Amino acid sequence: MWILPLLGLLAGAVIGSTLTYEVPPTYIKYMSIAVLASLDSVLGGVRALLKNDFDSTVLLSGFFTNALLAALLAYLGDRLGVDLYLAAVFVFGVRLFQNLANIRHSLLSQLRNNKQVK
Amino acid sequence: MSRKWLLPITIMCFIAGFFLTFQLKVMADISTVNPISERNTNLITIINDLEEEIKKQEELIGETRDNLDKIQEEQIKGRLQELQDSLKTAKILAGLTPVAGKGIVITVDDNTEGLKANPNDDPNKYIIHYSQLLNIVSELKVGGAEAISINGQRLITTSEIRCVGNLILINTTRIAPPFEISAIGSPRLLTEIVTASELAIMKLSNYPVDLKEAEELIIPAYKGDLQFKYAQTKGEN
Repeated sequence: MWILPLLGLLAGAVIGSTLTYEVPPTYIKYMSIAVLASLDSVLGGVRALLKNDFDSTVLLSGFFTNALLAALLAYLGDRLGVDLYLAAVFVFGVRLFQNLANIRHSLLSQLRNNKQVK
Repeated sequence: MSRKWLLPITIMCFIAGFFLTFQLKVMADISTVNPISERNTNLITIINDLEEEIKKQEELIGETRDNLDKIQEEQIKGRLQELQDSLKTAKILAGLTPVAGKGIVITVDDNTEGLKANPNDDPNKYIIHYSQLLNIVSELKVGGAEAISINGQRLITTSEIRCVGNLILINTTRIAPPFEISAIGSPRLLTEIVTASELAIMKLSNYPVDLKEAEELIIPAYKGDLQFKYAQTKGEN
């Protein structure tokens, strides 16, 4: 059942690498935020799944609002001359680690429970 | 547990994979292109455009001069003949007509072999400098050269030989090595005087130097504009 998401990841990767569109240098910041936001959402989704409180609306809306807010921050930073997008990068980075830690905890506890059952 | 989560996760994975590889690719492209070289390519296109424009203008000047010549030739009648002859010699002196005759062709190039052999050495020791061209030209003039051109650029009274970075400007045209200096005059005399100094020094420094005598050498006309805003003729006899 983990095959389909992996296939999705692969398909996205293939499309991303075949697409030849030149991004203007000013928008590279925004792209990097989008990368982090999407990675964060994937890990957040997996974490929620393992904790049994998964909600598809929360996941997708979370991705879009997070990405939008981050893009807005980056834009505001550009206007103000402050690298505000770094704040978004920082938050996403921290969340990535937190999600990863949560996933690890859940998986480990699941594994232990299974052993005890056996 | 239902399988409701499968589709959203797949969509997210798809988006994440897409952005990840896309950004990777963009960054890979960026690292190979730096803004300075991009600006330089812009400048290069501007220079190329301007040079094209200069070429067009030069052609226009040439055409106008040809027309003028035709009109003048049509008017050759009696007394005018004398004036026409003096005009012709004046034009040769000014470098406004292509000329042909005996002479020599000197070819000099950067000492790329030497630079390759000593890559850590100062490259300035291995490239041709404008001063070397100036010296050769001066010696040719001493040797009685009647017409000189470098890479097809006729040298006239207003011609400059000037250093612009790694290129040389002659008649405001960029010239790059190898440099072919053609001179019309007595081949024996020119060879003698040229091989005595600057060329000898260059040969000692292992620059690729070549000197050929030519029976029939054609030196092109000066293509640029000639205007006198300040100079006025005075007391002409």
